[in-house]
Amino acid sequence: MCEGCGCQHQESLYMPKTATLVRTNPLTDKDRFFEFKLDGQDLGHKPGQFAEISIPGIGEAPISVSSSPTKKGSFEMVIRKVGKVTSAIHDLKPGDAVGVRGPFGTHFPMDELKGKDLLFIGGGIGLVPMRSAINYAFDNRKNYGAITILFGCVDPSQRLFVDELKQWGALQGITFMETVDRCKEGEWKGNVGVITTLFPKVKNAVNPKTAAAIVVGPPIMYKFVILELRSMGFKEADVIVSLERRMKCGVGKCGHCQIDGVYVCQDGPVFTLESISHLVEAL
Amino acid sequence: MELLQISKKGLLDFVGTLVAGPLDIIGVVQKDGRFAYDKLDDARSLRLDFDEALYSPKQFLFPPKEALLSYAPKDPASSEPVYSEKPQAIIGIHPGDLAAIAMLDKAFTKVNIDAHYCARREKTILVGIYPTKPGAYRFTSSMIKPQEPYLAADAFLVDLGNDSYAVEIVTDRGKEFFSTSTATAAEADAKAKAERMKTAVKDTVALSVKRDDLPSFLDGKEHHPVWEARAAKCFSCGSCVTVCPTCYCFDVLDELDLSFEYGLRFRTWDACVLDPFAVCAGGHNFRKKPADRIRHRLYRKQKFLLEKLGLAGCVGCGRCKKACVPDIAFPPDIDNDLLGKGA
Repeated sequence: MCEGCGCQHQESLYMPKTATLVRTNPLTDKDRFFEFKLDGQDLGHKPGQFAEISIPGIGEAPISVSSSPTKKGSFEMVIRKVGKVTSAIHDLKPGDAVGVRGPFGTHFPMDELKGKDLLFIGGGIGLVPMRSAINYAFDNRKNYGAITILFGCVDPSQRLFVDELKQWGALQGITFMETVDRCKEGEWKGNVGVITTLFPKVKNAVNPKTAAAIVVGPPIMYKFVILELRSMGFKEADVIVSLERRMKCGVGKCGHCQIDGVYVCQDGPVFTLESISHLVEAL
Repeated sequence: MELLQISKKGLLDFVGTLVAGPLDIIGVVQKDGRFAYDKLDDARSLRLDFDEALYSPKQFLFPPKEALLSYAPKDPASSEPVYSEKPQAIIGIHPGDLAAIAMLDKAFTKVNIDAHYCARREKTILVGIYPTKPGAYRFTSSMIKPQEPYLAADAFLVDLGNDSYAVEIVTDRGKEFFSTSTATAAEADAKAKAERMKTAVKDTVALSVKRDDLPSFLDGKEHHPVWEARAAKCFSCGSCVTVCPTCYCFDVLDELDLSFEYGLRFRTWDACVLDPFAVCAGGHNFRKKPADRIRHRLYRKQKFLLEKLGLAGCVGCGRCKKACVPDIAFPPDIDNDLLGKGA
């Protein structure tokens, strides 16, 4: 018992565990796939959570976990090269070490979603955390009803997990559709337009009374997608979003990730639309 | 609560002994005509009759730059936590600043206990003093309840005006701390006198809204024109946050020694009113407009932390009013604006 403030002492919240890079490969011109392994243990995450990845001397960054917890022995991330920490991570070679803190935050409520149809709507690198839930649902297929996946990105060069997308499209009982915002002539045979242009194609196949929508994408995407979901008849409790913010410490202290008074690193990043509808800074 | 009494000379001698001992003794001193907390080298420089110190003593519990980890570069397995080892006592803290420490205690230890904060807090004795002079813009009694400073204090001094202080012993640590002083059991009339003196110096400013009504008062005012009007004059300089006794947002950064053999991970004070505070990887700024940042600061002071921790993120010290060049940061003025009373 602390004599100062009466708290129970704990180890430092900021101490990382050590993980080793198992393999890495490029997905786009700025996004790389990474598989990390912790010494003798799993990360212990749930779909939709994130971890703080660090390189001592460079810094630390919050990164979504992309693999399903059903995959044991290692965990996967996709990291976009946008700053000095992510650039240094891009330079790592298999066998190199990183610091890991976490997992942190809320997760997609896969247990509560049992028995429901699932409508996944992913934009750009929003697919990265969503893939954790998609693969979890695939690995527990009998627990869920119809699964529909909509994925959109800026142009064909920005598509992630291209081989996996092909597999998803071929799976029985899964509806998978893709779009790109724009493309060069002859570069893309699929749908062209923002992600909401896919909605008319699935509207009749998705029943808002039996489905939950899981939406992850850039800030601009939420407003338009949520309008569409509302017009389809989705209740706010059945719309689940994952919101990006600057989750610097991951433990609800540093203040950077706040939406109004809510710390996204603790009470998010996964929220139901119902739980954030009163927050002016959410969407 | 045990009440002792000590002469002013007795306290000066006691502080003199402490300064020569193993503890760092922190107190208010006068520097260039202003009052500021500093480590004491000489007990005679301690001032207990200050109106308001430039900064609160927060910096001695949550330093502007604090090492969290040490490591060898690129070797996470070499990481070791860094904790403060230095015991200290802070003598002469106004009730508002003590309530601010009580709030920091909750922020750092209510959930996810921050061992770095606790390492300092556990080794720090806190001795309060009731103000003997009004602050230029103090409105503490509008923002804190009388018992809240006692959540943090180990002992409290009250100037009895007769060349002696009443010493309220709040914790066992406070009792032990004063055990080596010449303080003795208080005289018969000291208790009543101390209670009178505690409220003798009145606040200079009063808030127009009751503290516990502030969260609901602010509901629905997120888009009020007051935020844009004040933002038009805001430099986004962060002065209001820097002087605030409750603000505890921080950034985390790594620094390598020039030898490249070891490095430290630090946390440094940060401020929600600064432009890049909510910028994410890729450059999207989730609080781009100064008006939104000003609103966030005020809501944090008067609503979010009160709802989250049960103690307000503002203790009515008035420092932000003094620090703000365009004078747009003072919570009582903003509340009056929101009430349509004019600042």
